[in-house]
Amino acid sequence: MTSHSTSRPRILAGPAALVAVALALFSVLVWALPAPAQPKSQLKTSQSGASQSGVSKVAAGTVARGAKTLGTVKVSTDPAVITAGQQLYNLHCESCHGPGGVGAKAPQLLDVGPAAVDFMLTTGRMPLNSVTQQPLPGTPYFNKTEIAEIVAYINFVDVSHGTPGVGIPTVPPSCTKESATCPTLSEGNELFLMNCSQCHDASGAGGMLSHGYVVPSLRQATKRQIAEAIRVGPRPMPGFGPGQLTNQEVAAIADYVYYLTHSGNRGGFGIANFGPVPEGFVAIIFGLGLLLLVARVIGNRG
Amino acid sequence: METLHDGTETPHEEAFELPRVITGTHGPEEGAGAGTPWPDDVPPEQDDSWYPLKDDPRKARRMEYLIAALWMVTGGCGVGLMICYWTGGQAQVEGALLASAFGCLGAGLVLWARYLLPGQDVVGSRGEHYSELEERAAVVASLSRGTDAMMSRRGFLVKKVLVPVGGIFGIAAVWPLASLGPRYGRALYHTAWYPGARLVDQFGRPIKASDVEVDGVLTVFPEGHADPNTPQNAMSPAVLLNIGGALMHERKINQGFEVKSGGNGLVCFSKICTHAGCAVTLFNVLSMQLVCPCHQSTFDILEDCRPVFGPAPRPLPQLHLGVRPDGYLFAVSDFVEPVGPGFWDRGGPA
Amino acid sequence: MSTVAERSAARKRALLEEKVLDELDDRLGSSKWLRSALDKVFPDHWSFMVGEIAMYSFVILIVTGVYLALFYSPSSAVVVYHGPYRPLDGQKMTQAFESVVNLSFSVRAGLVMRQAHHWAANIFLAAVAFHMGRVFFTGAFRKPRELNWTIGLTLLIVAMLEGFSGYSLPDDLLSGSGLRVVFSIIQSIPFVGVWLAFTLWGGAFPGTSVFFTRLFVIHEFLFPLILLGLLGAHLGMLWHQKHTDFPGPGKTEHNIVGSRLWPQYAVKSAALLTFIAAVIFGLGGFVQINPIWVYGPYNPARGSAGTQPDWYVGWLDGALRLWPHWEFRSFGHEIANPFFPGILLPGIVFTAMYAWPAIDRRLFADYGEHNLLDRPRDKPLRTAVGVAALFFFADLTVASATDLIGNALNVSFELLIEILQYGSFVAPIVAGVVAYKVCVLLQVQNAHPIQRPVGGVMVRDARGAFHTLGAEHAHAAPEGNGHEAAADSEETALEAAGGEPAPG
Repeated sequence: MTSHSTSRPRILAGPAALVAVALALFSVLVWALPAPAQPKSQLKTSQSGASQSGVSKVAAGTVARGAKTLGTVKVSTDPAVITAGQQLYNLHCESCHGPGGVGAKAPQLLDVGPAAVDFMLTTGRMPLNSVTQQPLPGTPYFNKTEIAEIVAYINFVDVSHGTPGVGIPTVPPSCTKESATCPTLSEGNELFLMNCSQCHDASGAGGMLSHGYVVPSLRQATKRQIAEAIRVGPRPMPGFGPGQLTNQEVAAIADYVYYLTHSGNRGGFGIANFGPVPEGFVAIIFGLGLLLLVARVIGNRG
Repeated sequence: METLHDGTETPHEEAFELPRVITGTHGPEEGAGAGTPWPDDVPPEQDDSWYPLKDDPRKARRMEYLIAALWMVTGGCGVGLMICYWTGGQAQVEGALLASAFGCLGAGLVLWARYLLPGQDVVGSRGEHYSELEERAAVVASLSRGTDAMMSRRGFLVKKVLVPVGGIFGIAAVWPLASLGPRYGRALYHTAWYPGARLVDQFGRPIKASDVEVDGVLTVFPEGHADPNTPQNAMSPAVLLNIGGALMHERKINQGFEVKSGGNGLVCFSKICTHAGCAVTLFNVLSMQLVCPCHQSTFDILEDCRPVFGPAPRPLPQLHLGVRPDGYLFAVSDFVEPVGPGFWDRGGPA
Repeated sequence: MSTVAERSAARKRALLEEKVLDELDDRLGSSKWLRSALDKVFPDHWSFMVGEIAMYSFVILIVTGVYLALFYSPSSAVVVYHGPYRPLDGQKMTQAFESVVNLSFSVRAGLVMRQAHHWAANIFLAAVAFHMGRVFFTGAFRKPRELNWTIGLTLLIVAMLEGFSGYSLPDDLLSGSGLRVVFSIIQSIPFVGVWLAFTLWGGAFPGTSVFFTRLFVIHEFLFPLILLGLLGAHLGMLWHQKHTDFPGPGKTEHNIVGSRLWPQYAVKSAALLTFIAAVIFGLGGFVQINPIWVYGPYNPARGSAGTQPDWYVGWLDGALRLWPHWEFRSFGHEIANPFFPGILLPGIVFTAMYAWPAIDRRLFADYGEHNLLDRPRDKPLRTAVGVAALFFFADLTVASATDLIGNALNVSFELLIEILQYGSFVAPIVAGVVAYKVCVLLQVQNAHPIQRPVGGVMVRDARGAFHTLGAEHAHAAPEGNGHEAAADSEETALEAAGGEPAPG
C-alpha cells in the first residue's frame, strides 16, 4: 500500500484537535466579546443629571448646537499650595525649563497656562528624560495633588508675568453611553472627522506625522484632556482657539471622542481599530491559516 | 503495490503521429498507454466496502454517537439562531451560533468521511484529454469544406464588404458609450472659488482673519459651497493656516498670496493632494509641514507647500487671499492652476 | 452486520434511485456521464483543497451578498440620517451610506452578514493567491494546463476588481478616499485618462447620481457574472484534464490516485464548505471589519489616518507610496505620477504572469505534458523567481502600512519608505538567490521519502538481492517527469540554466 495507507484506523487526534481548536477559538472570542451594544436596550436615562436639565428635547431632524459648553477649573491661589508646587517644580522640572519657568533646554513656561501643565502632567507626557524625545502619553509621574500644586505654581508664575494662558476646561459629563439625550454627539462627530481624524484616525487609534512624530491614540484620554489638547495644542499638534472651535464645539468633540473610545466595537473584537491592514492580517493568518489547518485534517498529507 | 494497478498491460500503442511534440507521456507505461486500459475513470475492482473502523464495531458505534451529538449541536444552534433573531438579534451571538453550527456539522462530516466511509485510495486512469488523430483530421476537413463553400467565388463578400461593414457597425454600437459621461471640457481647471468668495468653515460660517490662532489650521470652503459632495465643490476645500509673524519672513518661496493681520500671516492652500487627490490635512506644527494621510506626501508650508517628501510631484496650489474691511477673509480669485492630481492636458491653457 | 431491515431499505433505495435515474436518462442520456462522474478520482492532498477554499468562499460571498443587496440602496441622493447610531443622527449623507448604516444597525442579522461578506472577500482573495502560489511553485501550470492558468489569473484580477468595487459601495470615508485615488489613477492615463474617468463616474469626482448605480451594477452583476463564467470554465477544464498530483509510489503520468467523488470526496468537500462557513461567520460575528459608522459619510475635505485599501490592493497602494515624485511633462502634456505605479506596474506584473507558462517552457526547454507535479526544489530557478515575486509583493504591501508600522515601532515613515524603496529591488534579489541556494542544497540532501522510488531502477544482482539504483540510471527510466536529476546538484544547476537534457 501507499505510504499514506489508511488501512490502520487512525486515532481521533486530527478531528479532536480540530474541535479543540474550535473550542479554544470560541472561548478566546467570547473573552474578546465587547459589551453587547444594542441600541434598544441602552436607551437608559442620561447619566448627566443636572448639567443636562437645561437642555430641552431636541426636535428630530435638527442638530442641537450649543447645548453644552466648557467650564473652567478654578486653580488654587493658596500660597501654601503654590509653595508646594514650586518645590516639586524645582525638583523635577527646573533642570530643563529653567528657574521660575524662564526656559532653558526646554521651552519657557511663562505663558503656557494651567491647561497645558495639567495636560502634560495628567497624561504622563512630562517629566521627560531627554528634551529630544517626543512627549508621549504614559503613566502619570505625579499624583493628583502634586499636579494641582504644580499647576498652581505655574499659574502663579504666568499670572505674575501678565500672560495667564489657557485655563483648565471642564466638559460637562454625559454621553458615555449611547443615549437619546446626547445631541452633541453628531456635532462632535462632524467636527472630529473634519479637524482631528486625519492625524488621530477616524477610530482615534492614532497615526504618524512627518519627521517621526507619533500621533498618539485617544483611547486613554479623558474628556478634560481632550479639551485641553484642543485648546493648548501639544506640539506637533496645532492648537485650536475659540475662533476656530467654540467652547461648545470643543465640548462636543470631547464628548464624541469619549463616546468613540468607550462605546465598544459593535462588530466584535476591534483588532486595534487600525483599519484594513490588521483586517487583512487577520484574514490571511487567522482565516486562511485556520482553513489550511482544516484542509490538512481533511486531506492527505502524503 | 499490487493493489495499485491491476496489471492490465495493454500493448503500447505506437505511431501516434501528431503534428505536435508530446514527450514523456507515451512511454511504455505500467497499465496506461495511449489506448484504453480502463474505461474512462472507472477504477479497477477494489474493496469499496472496507472502512477504517470496520473491524472494530464498538469504536464505530461510538463514532456514530459522536457524529450524532455534533449534528445535534448544529440543530440546537439553529434553534438558538431563531430565538436570537426573534428577540432582536445580536451580532456576536449570531456569529457564535452560526460558527458553532457550521463547525459541528463539518466536524461530523469529517469524522464520517474518515472513519466510516471507504478509506482506501483508488487508482484510476487519466484517460486522454485530447482527441484522436482521425478526429482532428475530420474537424479540419469539415471546417475547410464549409469555408471553401463559403469563400469560393464569393470571398469578396467577406473581405470587401462584411469586414468593413462590421467595422463600421461595431463603431456605431459603441457610440452610446459617449452618453455615459459628459465631455470634460475645462472641468478640471476650475473650482468653486470665485473672486470675492468669503472663506467659510464646514458649517458655512464666514471666517475672520483674527479667528485663527498662530499655528492654527482650519478647513475652509468658498461661501455657498461648503458642501463638497458635488463635482463642482469637491475640488475646492482648502486649508487656512496662520503661520505667525516670525515665520512670515523666513519663507524661501513666496507667491505673495498671503494676508497679514495683526502681525500674523495667513496662507491658504488647496486641500486636494497633487498626487492622488486625497485631503492633505495632517499638520505638523514643529516642522510646518502638511502631510497627506493616503500616501504620506509632505509639503513645506514655508515654501508655499512645495513637496519635500513622498510621491506628490507639484506644490499645493495657493489661494490668493484678501481681507475685507469688516475682517472677513475672501478669495481674490480662483486657484491660478488646476487643483489636484495631474492629467494629460494639465499644462494646457486654463 | 447489516440487518434484514437495513438490507430491505437498501433495496428500496436502489429501486428508487434506479427509477429516478431512469427517468433522467430517458430524457438526457445522463447515465454514461454520471457514472464516470461519480467514480471520478480526486487526489486529495491537502494543498489541492486551497482552490476549493477559494470556491466555497465565493459561494458564501454570493449567499451573503444576495442578502446585502436586498437592503443596499445604490443612490447618491442626499438624505438626513435618523437612526439608532446617535453620532450620525441628523447628518446629511448619501442614501448609499445610510442604507449600509441601517443594514449594520437596524436590520436583524445585517451586521453579521455584512461582516461575514467582507471577511469572505478577504479570505477568498487570500485563498486565490495561495492557490496560485501552489500552482506556480509545483509547475501545475505546465502543458496541458496553460489555458487554465490564464483563466485562473483572469479570475484573480477580476476578483481584485470585484473586491475593490465592494469596498467602495458603502460610500464611507475609506470608500471615498479609495475611489478618489482610483479616479486619479485613471485620470493619469495619457490621452484618454480624463475622458475615461469622466465616463465611468458620469462627470468629475465624486461623480453624478448615476455613479453608485453603475458601481452597484458592476459589483452585483457584471463582475460576479464574469467570475461565475470563468469559474465554470476553470472547473470544467480541471474536470476534463483531471487534477495533477505529486509524484509518489505508484503514481504515474497516466494514472490518478485518490478518493472517489462519491461518496468520500463529496463528503470531505462538503465538510470543507461547512468549516469555511464556520470560520467566516465566526469572524463575521466576533471580529469587527470596516466599521463604516466610525469613518462617517464620505466628504472630499475629510481624511483619516490609516487610509488603506483591503489587503489584496495593498501592494498597489504601497507602490503609489514608494514611487518617487516623478512625472513627465513636455509640449503642454504630462504623464502624471499615479500612472506609473497605478497602471504601468500592474500592467507589467500581470503581463509577466500571463506569459509565465510560455517563459517557463522556454526556460526549461520543456514542451512536454505533465500530470505529475514538480517539487519546488527540483526547479530552483522557477522557485527563485516565485520567491522573488512574493518578496516584491510583500515589500509593496508592507509599504501600504508605513504609517501604522511607524506608529507601532516609533519609526519615521520617511525612513520606512526609503528602506522599502530600496527593499523593492534588494529583497527580491536576495530572497531569490537564497531560495535558489536552498533548493540546490535540498536536492543534494534529497531527504524526502517520496523521492526515492521515482526514476530509480530496480536491479537484481548475481546473488539474487535487489538494489535500487539512483540518479545515475535516471535517464534509463521510462518515465520522464523531471525528477531524475534531483540527486545531482550540478546537473540540476545545468538544467536550470536552460540545458535540460530531454527526458525519456
